[in-house]
Amino acid sequence: MSNVPKEAIEVIAQSIGITNLSPDVAIALAPDVEYRVREIMQEAIKCMRHSRRTVLTADDVDSALNLRNMEPIYGFTSRDALRFKRAAGHKDLFYIDDKDVEFKEVMESPLSKAPIDTSVTSHWLAIEGIQPAIPENASVEAPSDGKKAEYKDDGTSVDVKLPVKHVLSRELQLYFDKIAEITMNRSFSVVFKQALLSLATDSGVHPLVPYFTYFIADEVARNLNNFPVLFALMRVARSLLQNEHIHIEPYLHQLMPSIITCLVAKRLGNKFTDNHWELRNFAAKLVASICKRFGHVYHNLQPRVTRTLLHAFLDPTKTFPQHYGAIQGLAALGPSVVRLLILPNLEAYLQLLEPEMALEKQKNEIKRHEARCVYGALLRAAGLCMYDRLKMFPSLLAPPTRPIWKSNGKVATTNKRKASTDNLMQQPPAKKIATESAMGMMPINSMQADVQGAASSFSNTVGGSNIGVSSMTRPLSNDNMLGREVGGRVSKTSTVLAQAWKEDTDAGNLLASLFELFGESMLSFTPNLSFHSSFD
Amino acid sequence: MENMQAVNNFVAAYLKKKGFKEAEQLLEDLQNKESAPIDFHNDPELAKFIHRFSQSEDDVARYQDGYSKLRSWTYSSLDLYKHELLRVLYPVFIHSFMDMVAKGHLQEARTFFNNFREDHELMHSRDLQKLEGVLSQSHLEEMEFARSLRQSKVNIKICQYSYDLLLQYLHKTQSTAMLGVINEHINFQVSSGQPSSISDDAEVVTLIGSCQDTANQINQKEIHWGLLEDSLEERLEKAGGLLSDSEKTEEENKEGDADDTKKRSVESGKQGASTKKLKKEKALNATAKSARPEASTTPAAPRVKAKLPLPLMSTEVEQSILEDLRNRVQLSSVLLPSVSFYTFLNTHNGLNCSSISHDGSLVAGGFSDSSLKVWDMAKLGQQGGSSILQAENDSTSSEHVVGPNGGKRSYTLFQGHSGPVHSATFSPLGDFILSSSADTTIRLWSTKLNANLVCYKGHNYPVWDVQFSPVGHYFASASHDRTARIWSMDRIQPLRIMAGHLSDVDCVQWHANCNYIATGSSDKTVRLWDVQNGECVRIFIGHRSMILSLAMSPDGRYMASGDEDGMIMMWDISSGRCITPLMGHTSCVWTVAFSCEGSLLASGSADCTVKLWDVTTSAKVPRNEEKSGNPNRLRLLKTLATKSTPVYSLQFSRRNLLFAAGALSKNL
Repeated sequence: MSNVPKEAIEVIAQSIGITNLSPDVAIALAPDVEYRVREIMQEAIKCMRHSRRTVLTADDVDSALNLRNMEPIYGFTSRDALRFKRAAGHKDLFYIDDKDVEFKEVMESPLSKAPIDTSVTSHWLAIEGIQPAIPENASVEAPSDGKKAEYKDDGTSVDVKLPVKHVLSRELQLYFDKIAEITMNRSFSVVFKQALLSLATDSGVHPLVPYFTYFIADEVARNLNNFPVLFALMRVARSLLQNEHIHIEPYLHQLMPSIITCLVAKRLGNKFTDNHWELRNFAAKLVASICKRFGHVYHNLQPRVTRTLLHAFLDPTKTFPQHYGAIQGLAALGPSVVRLLILPNLEAYLQLLEPEMALEKQKNEIKRHEARCVYGALLRAAGLCMYDRLKMFPSLLAPPTRPIWKSNGKVATTNKRKASTDNLMQQPPAKKIATESAMGMMPINSMQADVQGAASSFSNTVGGSNIGVSSMTRPLSNDNMLGREVGGRVSKTSTVLAQAWKEDTDAGNLLASLFELFGESMLSFTPNLSFHSSFD
Repeated sequence: MENMQAVNNFVAAYLKKKGFKEAEQLLEDLQNKESAPIDFHNDPELAKFIHRFSQSEDDVARYQDGYSKLRSWTYSSLDLYKHELLRVLYPVFIHSFMDMVAKGHLQEARTFFNNFREDHELMHSRDLQKLEGVLSQSHLEEMEFARSLRQSKVNIKICQYSYDLLLQYLHKTQSTAMLGVINEHINFQVSSGQPSSISDDAEVVTLIGSCQDTANQINQKEIHWGLLEDSLEERLEKAGGLLSDSEKTEEENKEGDADDTKKRSVESGKQGASTKKLKKEKALNATAKSARPEASTTPAAPRVKAKLPLPLMSTEVEQSILEDLRNRVQLSSVLLPSVSFYTFLNTHNGLNCSSISHDGSLVAGGFSDSSLKVWDMAKLGQQGGSSILQAENDSTSSEHVVGPNGGKRSYTLFQGHSGPVHSATFSPLGDFILSSSADTTIRLWSTKLNANLVCYKGHNYPVWDVQFSPVGHYFASASHDRTARIWSMDRIQPLRIMAGHLSDVDCVQWHANCNYIATGSSDKTVRLWDVQNGECVRIFIGHRSMILSLAMSPDGRYMASGDEDGMIMMWDISSGRCITPLMGHTSCVWTVAFSCEGSLLASGSADCTVKLWDVTTSAKVPRNEEKSGNPNRLRLLKTLATKSTPVYSLQFSRRNLLFAAGALSKNL
């Protein structure tokens, strides 16, 4: 009938030495015991409430007993909640684990630390009703209703963030180890290609992204002399970037430095045979693709990349391979970047570059080769930019210039062929012309650079000055048949430009000055094919 | 029967002899009337009924049977009347149970109780827990709750049709046991018309010991809830009326700046903790600027005379308070207060209470190790220009008080109690602290001298709560001995003893005009007492569990009370009715506080939140369209979650900056 069975009373009676307890007494006592226990608990709960707690402690029960003028139960004075253990084999039987403590051990054990004294700190819970996001406040979740409700339901604070243990499955670990091993040691094997393909397409790779980015960053820093490894790592990076299923943005900051390193490092690989140019080209493409893909998310991504590259490009103490990398990187970022950052500095840079390419001035074959590579990169960058401009304004080369164009088409193609076949032979004379003309053109060119940055309202004056340029270049190029021809045509074009399409003078101007600098090889980049097809 | 007749005849003869003609006539009428129903010998139906009744006296199974039938009948009754009939079930249930216990059928009573307790668990779980312990007749006698239940009748409002339905059912089924219980313990207040709505059955929930009627009677008493005459606020209002126009426009200009200052204060709030104190002042200034003494809009509360002789206030103090009042931020549902939170660290579960002085500069904590500790927050802010961490570790500063054991502390330790300190309160000027303890004493401490001044002995059991009056000097205490007492600082004996609660008095609060105190009790009622004559003038019934916190609105009209279940109730003091329950907290509401102009209510709870409630809407409603129970009128404005810190106390400063305090507890 009551929750306290009469057997319990009998047991207690026996334990205090009453052996002849009549069953009637036990039956009568049992309900009373329950009633008294309830009474004590009621008082204990009151004590708990007045101690501003929601958990009943042994102290509360003691206080309740005290209220009833009873002696407290000794031996349970712990401030924390008692830990009950479930008795084995019984569903509803609990007990408090009461260990035997060796007195000697207690005596010998060092004194435990004194508890830290109570202190009070203050902070702003809210300022005009808004909770500031400071560590003292509970983290403010986005006010989603579901979350709020959850918070209310269980009454305890959900916002205590436990450290999330990142668990990698065994398969993924194996996968990672395998890929790392292949990348480091067998980057020329077919398996590596398979691995790259897997990285680029597999959706399950996502948990490994942080590991891969760390791996790449780590290994690039360690293996700057090991060209094959560097290249392999860049390929891995590209594959990861290609993978549509993974969310790589948070790791870009870790990935970018490695790629930039592969682009503009002083030395990549330790052998002369290492084709580091190729690696730089590859890295440039990678950088460009990253900027294109994440530029809108991270607004400062591209500016930072360009700033780094520009610094490398403009620093004369840097080696040519570094310049090459910077130019390639900038060029890959698009024609507008080239126009804005390379072309204004082209003039001065070419002056610097010129002596390094000349056979008579630079005896070191390797240096000369490097310089030529840089020149080629510049030419390509400028040319691509030009191509872009001309494509944007097809009318630039509309009917008026058409005949000249036609006649020149042949020249251009031959020139191109020449350039491609015996680049080394061809370039020095072309360079000479360029420098010669560049000498006279310098001030105007710099001014032009200014204008490019400025508004188009200056186009009129630019046009005017351009006429001046052409007139100045004409006498200069007199001694050279090719140069004169080109110069004449440029001047013709630019005068036409200046008169007819003032808003487009920028492009025309550009072409002219680029031509001055690079000579014929520039023309190979003009989009003649498309024009021909459109006009013929 | 013959005996009866003889008596009647005797009385009639007596009346005739004395010449009481009218009385004689009446008696005769009565006799004639009575004769009809009394004639049950000839009515077989009735005879059978009575026979059954007498038989079933002993038959305990009747209760079980009757109750279960009544229950199923009620559940299948018409929807419209069901909720009214359901109210009948609970009293029938508990009284059936107690009757069975009283008759000694303990086993059957227990099974009966367990069979049907689920039905009432939702509404009456705490009562049921108590009743569950009733296991013998002696318990019924001993347990006050059960005794008072058995002695009193429950009032149930019920509409005519529901009443008829019930009677019809009882008659038809001849369930005499149930009929007996109902007759004995339920007092039906039959009203014609539609059944009442479900929402206002609050009165049925609490079965108080005293008869419902007396409670109603008490609540008829007149109450002067108006504010004190010639209070500082009033003086300020008068002064505000005399503001010249130029000053007024200036105020308006300042108002325009309010947005800027708001931004600034938010920014400053985000900065590190190093400039904490400085910022606090800045924010105070910023918020103060946006305040304006808007005297005209506040509804003029009636003024009353103080029934107590009030202490005099020095002019400097008066000036500083007036200054604060002028710079008060006018809080509203759109302009919420800034909350400064004081967190107690490393309390080791020992903090029982906390209290914040009116200007927020002092924080007191009462601990279960009998100590009272007071922190001077102004000093904490100054020293070392320090971050919180520094303040925590940097215990070498010379500012610290040197304790008796040579250690240096950041607080002042007050030792004197010999039991857990359950409550502490600052005098309005912050120069005194009162603390109440389980050692049945109240002690007065001086914050200037850092010493114990007086020990007030009077209660016989732990003193749960102590509160200074709004003017100081007087204070009220609440105790486990079921009384509340009024004291003055200069006497060691109480001035008044308020007795009447049926269980512990858990909390106490002064009315704004110092003529009344409110007490909240474990008997689930809040009572309002007249300080002058010690009489109970209001009983507020509606809470479903023990009341933990009370707050009085500054205009004296309303009272808020928070209970163990997280419910807060707003009461209209003059009518004694609940305006609306404010539901939102999920655990004990430790503290409630009205903002200084009464537009906001802040509540702090064990669920680690501070909630801000809009109470202006209700206050602004004109008295004539008084409708209680519209839950939309009072609404929750904001929930401010703390970092696992239950909120123990809240205090609005005179400038309406909200201070809150709580102990960081890891294992909630």
